[in-house]
Amino acid sequence: MPANNLRKAAILALVLVVLTIGSWELYLRSRGVTISYDNSKELWADKRAMVYEPADKTTVFIGSSRIKFDLDIDTWQQTTGRHAVQLAAEGSSPVPILTDLGNDPNFRGRLVVDVTEPIFFSSEHMSLEKPTAYLDCYKKRTPAQKASFVLNHALESWFVFLDKDKYSLNAGLDRLNIPNRPGVFVFPTFPDDFNCSDFDRRSKMTPRFLADTSLQHRVQNIWLFVMEMGKNAPPPKENPVPPMLAKVKDAVGKIQSRGGEVVFIRTPSSGVMGGAEQHVFTRDRFWDPLLAATNCKGIFFTDYQETSHFTCPEWSHLSPQDAISYTKALITELPPSFTH
Amino acid sequence: MVFNSYTFVVFFIIVLILHNLPFSWRQKKINLLLASYLFYAAWNPPFIFLLWLSTVVDFFVGRALYTQTNIHKKRVLLVISLIGNLGMLCFFKYGTFLLDNFVALLNLLGVSYHPAKPNIILPAGISFYTFTTLCYTVDMFKQKSEPVRSLLDFSLFVTFFPHLVAGPIVRPPQLVPQFESPRKATKQQLMEGLFLLSLGLFMKVVLADSMLAGSADTIFGSQGKLGALDAWTGVLAFSGQIFFDFAGYSTCAIGAALCLGFILPLNFRFPYAAIGFTDFWRRWHITLSAWLRDYLYIPLGGNRKGRLRTYMNLMITMLLGGLWHGANWTFVVWGGLHGLYLWGERLFTDRKDARRYREGNPINAMAEPVKAGIGLSASNKWVYALLTFLLINITWVFFRSPTFTGAGNMLQSMFGMVHEATPLLTTIAIVKVAVIVAVMLVAHWLMRNTTILDLVRRLPWWVTGLSWSLMLILLILSQESSSSFIYFQF
Repeated sequence: MPANNLRKAAILALVLVVLTIGSWELYLRSRGVTISYDNSKELWADKRAMVYEPADKTTVFIGSSRIKFDLDIDTWQQTTGRHAVQLAAEGSSPVPILTDLGNDPNFRGRLVVDVTEPIFFSSEHMSLEKPTAYLDCYKKRTPAQKASFVLNHALESWFVFLDKDKYSLNAGLDRLNIPNRPGVFVFPTFPDDFNCSDFDRRSKMTPRFLADTSLQHRVQNIWLFVMEMGKNAPPPKENPVPPMLAKVKDAVGKIQSRGGEVVFIRTPSSGVMGGAEQHVFTRDRFWDPLLAATNCKGIFFTDYQETSHFTCPEWSHLSPQDAISYTKALITELPPSFTH
Repeated sequence: MVFNSYTFVVFFIIVLILHNLPFSWRQKKINLLLASYLFYAAWNPPFIFLLWLSTVVDFFVGRALYTQTNIHKKRVLLVISLIGNLGMLCFFKYGTFLLDNFVALLNLLGVSYHPAKPNIILPAGISFYTFTTLCYTVDMFKQKSEPVRSLLDFSLFVTFFPHLVAGPIVRPPQLVPQFESPRKATKQQLMEGLFLLSLGLFMKVVLADSMLAGSADTIFGSQGKLGALDAWTGVLAFSGQIFFDFAGYSTCAIGAALCLGFILPLNFRFPYAAIGFTDFWRRWHITLSAWLRDYLYIPLGGNRKGRLRTYMNLMITMLLGGLWHGANWTFVVWGGLHGLYLWGERLFTDRKDARRYREGNPINAMAEPVKAGIGLSASNKWVYALLTFLLINITWVFFRSPTFTGAGNMLQSMFGMVHEATPLLTTIAIVKVAVIVAVMLVAHWLMRNTTILDLVRRLPWWVTGLSWSLMLILLILSQESSSSFIYFQF
């Protein structure tokens, strides 16, 4: 093929790419899809690097998904004037991240740890996998990866189709829902409209999700599935609570010895899930020993009038509106060194 | 930096622009060298010093080797170069492995010794650039080619960013003459280079990472019992993944170099269409196979010292080739299995030649080169190619499994020796692997005697345009992050 023909091929390819990708972007925008950032390990690593900001200007949050929905970062920052660094990891225990911060001699800041008991006290591989990968990414980031992250951020801020969980090739193929062989384990997928994520790693339920109770029921069914899984899982060989408490105590002790401060919080849950959690993970067996072991302040949502009345649309996370109220209430309950 | 990253896209655009500005040729070479150092330093800046050390030592030792007439001094210089290059490789790549084996041996002898685990980071591409510089000093020792005249050209030969980290492994006569006179890509080369870059990225990002890596990782990472369907799907997924990953890298490297007007040697020639294992190694990682042949197999005696030595040399070459891939005994077994396959093939060929010799046609028997599938009917060639592919899949089990226990379990699963296994892969995952591997095999078979660029030159422009756009659209839609290439760990 002469060069001229290959140039024609390149122009045709370019035109088709621009038309196809442009149409896809316009279609998604016409459906009301807005910018949402990939909740990637690179984004987590970017935030992890911010924990060294001055302790009087920054508060670090770790936990599972609840604190990502329940902490309204805009409200927090406007009210306290402090930067909120969100390091929580969905469906995962914060203990590996707490341990890492404990072992980091340069971390002397204020740390809020959100406790979702079934995950916090779990030593299952599944609940440790994501934080381990996040930490690995943070520690091994190369200068090239940091530069790519900056460029990726710019592109993600422009194009709504750049949302790997929802609009990637694999996400599309998975959506075909081809029946599987009997016995294949598949974790149910969350509805696309459940939430979107901003660059501060805050998760927010979408208006469509809040307006559609069938979508909310779909997520509730996922929580029922998770609870069923927990019920059917073989009992652990040894009680995981004492070794977990020892780990947490050690990490908190190290942070405190450097002048840092730690507070534990329990964010709201409701409905069947909230009831089951409070029935199985009773405070006297989990929450109280945690505070006793670490000698830290604890803020349990049922203990305060301002936070005890919330109803989570899908039993586990607050709506964006309630997240604002919860954040305001949390600010009043946290020690002044966390908020002033 | 990796080719499949936004950083590389920006970096490459800047390099292309700089290379096409009206600078002097020397200035353009300095630009390329600085860009190559930046490309490498973007991983781990301190390791750039190792690259400099290797470059400077081999440049001066190489020149001295060529001009030195005293054979004893020449040998000393060669030993200095070998110790420098292989010593660095041994420390960084095999340090932990050697220590682990030493400790295991002591423990076996009843000595309790538990040293602290050394925390050695493997510099990216060390196996590749060590082999590049090593072949230069060996060539200088044998006076096979002229020494490179300028340190700038030699530095660029070693460091040229398209091949630096994962090959193709280039020899001085292949690349150095291209630095001696001004070069700029023709329009044809630029377009072909861009097409190869797109194809390489498509192979890596869409096929290897997005479509196949998940199934391979799930199966090889599984702790439970695997059924035959899952095990075979995982192994086939890995066969496809490693090809698309590594051939994708080589295609990007060749394409990037071509955009700048430089020609790098071909590294893959549709290897899964190989008819037999000799043919496979002429198609898979061609520049490494040729390196091992010229700098290990032939110096060991090759096939010139009798049949037994030939077989021994073949096995030694394959075992060391296996070890080059990774500091683990599983890689040695992978190489050993290929050695056994080559033995079997050679045994068969030798017996056939002996029979021909006895039947009075010795000249034909001796003159006939070992060519793929000669004397086989078309259907037998096809069957032998399929058998080759299946046996290569067995070797990938050892290549991918981190332990022998894992490899053993996988083989048992593949051959239906595991019962009451829980099905693991989803239907869509199996379909993806089946479709991609089937299309890959058909494409390799149809393309076995040609190259991608030959095909592109024959196709109507609109067919090329459509295929090109499809690759780019899938590349954008796959949204895979810039994951590392598998061969970087080697």
